[in-house]
Amino acid sequence: MQITLTIPELETERLILRGPKAADWEADAEFRTSDRAQFVGGPFTRMVAWRNFASRWGHWAIHGYGMFTVTERGSDAALGVVGPLYPDGWTEPELGWVLYEQAEGRGIAFEAAQAVRRYAYDVLGWTTAISYIDAANQRSRALAERLGCHAEPGAAHPFEDADIIVYRHPKPEVC
Amino acid sequence: MGHLDIPVLETRRLVLRGPEPGDYPDFKATFASYRSRFMGGPLNPYETWMLYAAEIGHWEIRGFGMWMIHLKDSAETVGMAGGWQPAVWPEREIAWIIWPDKAGRGYALEATDAARRFFYTQRGWDGAVSYIDPKNLDSIRLAERLGAVKDTEARTIDGNDAVYRHPAPEALKNSQIADGIALEIGHYCDPLFKPKGWAID
Repeated sequence: MQITLTIPELETERLILRGPKAADWEADAEFRTSDRAQFVGGPFTRMVAWRNFASRWGHWAIHGYGMFTVTERGSDAALGVVGPLYPDGWTEPELGWVLYEQAEGRGIAFEAAQAVRRYAYDVLGWTTAISYIDAANQRSRALAERLGCHAEPGAAHPFEDADIIVYRHPKPEVC
Repeated sequence: MGHLDIPVLETRRLVLRGPEPGDYPDFKATFASYRSRFMGGPLNPYETWMLYAAEIGHWEIRGFGMWMIHLKDSAETVGMAGGWQPAVWPEREIAWIIWPDKAGRGYALEATDAARRFFYTQRGWDGAVSYIDPKNLDSIRLAERLGAVKDTEARTIDGNDAVYRHPAPEALKNSQIADGIALEIGHYCDPLFKPKGWAID
């Protein structure tokens, strides 16, 4: 039997967003087992980190969309992950992003997030999008605001015991 | 990329196919239940879904993985069985889980026997282990029916599990264990066979 895994590549000025590769694991594990992962429910054990890593292919197979690995043109090294995300329990499809430490401070997450939002709107046909962000995650909140998002106070989210802000992205027409 | 090829295995009563999106509700019901307590559960919907998606990713990353066990007659699913080796697993594992209301009919034995034979004969595995919670008596019993023996020297996952080592391909070939497995599966296939007493997978 065959499981369809068609994953496009998105290009921006400096970046290539591609499907996950097994070689991305160590960079991802380093992030997910570090304190940097505190705003996405971590730090995690390597075992739980691997479940999250391996799930990316299944996400593409099940939904036909999923997380992209962020790379810079000229290098295939993983700098983070970004993309549309809709696991069981989510109140609606999300645009998610994670940037590894070595890629911070150069506007890479902004560039990548803009590209996947355009992909979600233009290719997937989404009419709206949200991002769940931990209230203490100042860098991610600043990025959401730079992307034109607005907090929706009181909006539903699946994280019972966490202080999460639901950011609503601007409509497709104004992006 | 484009496609992920997962072989389909057939046994007397079962068809083993790769995990598909439509099979998720059955998986979710089991991982929400106490049945999953020896496989890291019960899990919330997010964790369950991520694990299910990871079952598919495992095939892509490792080139092997877990099959969904379907009944030939009705196509309904009764559990999962196959190979499993996420990060931190010291060795390749033969693993299984049977939905709680499908236990006691020999499905796990029939599926794991087929999966092990596939890995040994088609993928060149020279052995395998099963990591089992020492309190999971049903699974220990299945490991022993498969001819696996507790290996106290082997590295465990985290010290809380027992390692059962499966017979190597040469030791299994034409062995009493192999005959015993075939005989037992034969009994379960017999409509007149109505085992009483302890339900086993």
